[in-house]
Amino acid sequence: MKKYLTVLLLLLVAGFMAKGQTTDPLVSNCVMNAGTDAKYLKDFRVQLGKAAAAGEPRYKAQMSLWKNTKYRFSMCNSEDSNGKLILSIKDNSNKIVLSSFDQKTGKIYPYVDFVCNKSGIYQLHYDFTGGNQGSGVGVVSMVK
Amino acid sequence: MKGRSILYLLVALVLLVGWSSCRNSPKKSSEFVFPEADSVPVGEAEKLSAEAIADISNNMSSPVEIANLLQVMSVPFSSDYLASSLDPNKQQTAFDKALTLGILGADLGYLNMYEKTGSSIDILSSIRKLAEGIRVGQFFDFETIKRLSLNRSNLDSLLFLSIDSYTQIDKYLRDNDRGQLSALMIIGVWIEAQYLATQVVKKYPDPMLKDRIGEQKIILNDLIMLASPYCSHDTEFNALCRSLQEIKDKYRDVRITYTLGDPVSVEINGALVIQQTEKSIVEMSDEQLEGIIEVTRSIRDKLVINN
Repeated sequence: MKKYLTVLLLLLVAGFMAKGQTTDPLVSNCVMNAGTDAKYLKDFRVQLGKAAAAGEPRYKAQMSLWKNTKYRFSMCNSEDSNGKLILSIKDNSNKIVLSSFDQKTGKIYPYVDFVCNKSGIYQLHYDFTGGNQGSGVGVVSMVK
Repeated sequence: MKGRSILYLLVALVLLVGWSSCRNSPKKSSEFVFPEADSVPVGEAEKLSAEAIADISNNMSSPVEIANLLQVMSVPFSSDYLASSLDPNKQQTAFDKALTLGILGADLGYLNMYEKTGSSIDILSSIRKLAEGIRVGQFFDFETIKRLSLNRSNLDSLLFLSIDSYTQIDKYLRDNDRGQLSALMIIGVWIEAQYLATQVVKKYPDPMLKDRIGEQKIILNDLIMLASPYCSHDTEFNALCRSLQEIKDKYRDVRITYTLGDPVSVEINGALVIQQTEKSIVEMSDEQLEGIIEVTRSIRDKLVINN
C-alpha cells in the first residue's frame, strides 16, 4: 500500500512540475522593461555563486546576430544578487565587440544597443561584477 | 639546375599572387567556408554535447528577425506566404507534427510582427493541437496568447510568450531524449522563414534581403549537424536530410567575406550605443539566388501542400 502511495505521490509531483512551467517574473519584467521600441528575441537566465578567483566570465552562450539589425542587450538582476550582471560579446575571431562594463570608468550600463554590420555567430559572456554571487537575466531584443 | 629554376619561379609566382591579392583587398580579413567535410559524419554529430546542441538551437535565425527586416524594407504583409493549407488533423506521425509545429511557429512570428494577431487564432489552434499531439501542450499558454492576440494590446508580451513557449518546448524535448522532435521543430521554423524571405525577394529584390538569404550559409551546416544523428532513423528523416543537402549544394558557391574595423562606442542620453564597423559582404549571383529560391520553394511545398 505504502509503495502505491509513494508512486502516486511521485506521479503527482511529476505532473505538477510538468504543468508548473510558468514564466520567471524576473525574465518577464526584464522583457517588459527593455523599452517600448524593443521586440523580444531571446533571454539567458544567469545564476552564479561566488567565483573562486577573478577571471574569465563564467556564463557563456552563443547566438547568431545579423547585419542591418540593431540589437538591445538588457541586463536585470534579482534583488538578492551581490553583484551586477555584466555582458561582453566576442565575434568568431574572439575579438570583443561589446561590453556593458566600462573598465576605465567602472560604469555599468543596464542595456547596450548594438548596430550589427557583420552577420555571424557570436559568443555572449555574462558574469556578475567582481565574480560575485548573483541571479539575473540577459534579454536580447531588436530595436528600430 | 632547370628544376631549381622552376622552383624559384613557382615561389616567386606564389609570393606575387599573395602580394597582389593583399593589395587588391586590404581590408578583407577572412572568408566563410563550409567545413572541410561536406557531410557531417553521423558518429560525430551523435557526440554533440547537450550544450553544443543548445548553442546550435540559439544560432538559428529567428523568423521574427526576417519579419523585422521585411518591415524595415516597408514590405506589406501578405497571407499568401503562410502555410494556410496545413491541417493539423492530417499530421499523423510525431515527425509530421513536430515539423509542422515549426512551420506554423514561423508563420506565427510573421503574423505577430505585423500585428495581424486577429488572424493568428486559427494558427494558434493548430499549434495547440500539434503541441498536444507530441505531449508538449503544457508549455504553450494558449489562452493567454489568444487573449493577447485578440486584444492587440501588448505586442511585446505576445512575442515573448510565443517565443518563450517554443523555447521551452525545444528545451523539454532535448532534456527528455526526444531531440529528434526538437531538431524537426527547429528545421521547420528555419525552412518556413527561409521560404518567406525567398518568396518576398522575388517581388522586392532589396540588397538587404538578398544578403540575409545569402548569409544563411553561416548556419546551414549547424542545421544539417542537428539533423544528422537521425538521418538514418526512417525514410521521412532521410528525405528531409537529403533536402537540406540540396539546399546546401545551392549555397556552395555563395561567398561571404569580412572586412576589418574596430567598433565605435557613443553614449546617447546615458545609454551606450555600439556601431560595428566590421562588415560581412555577400557575393551571390542572380543565378545562385534563383537556385536557392527554387530549391527552398520545392522543399517547403512538399512539406506543406496536401498536408
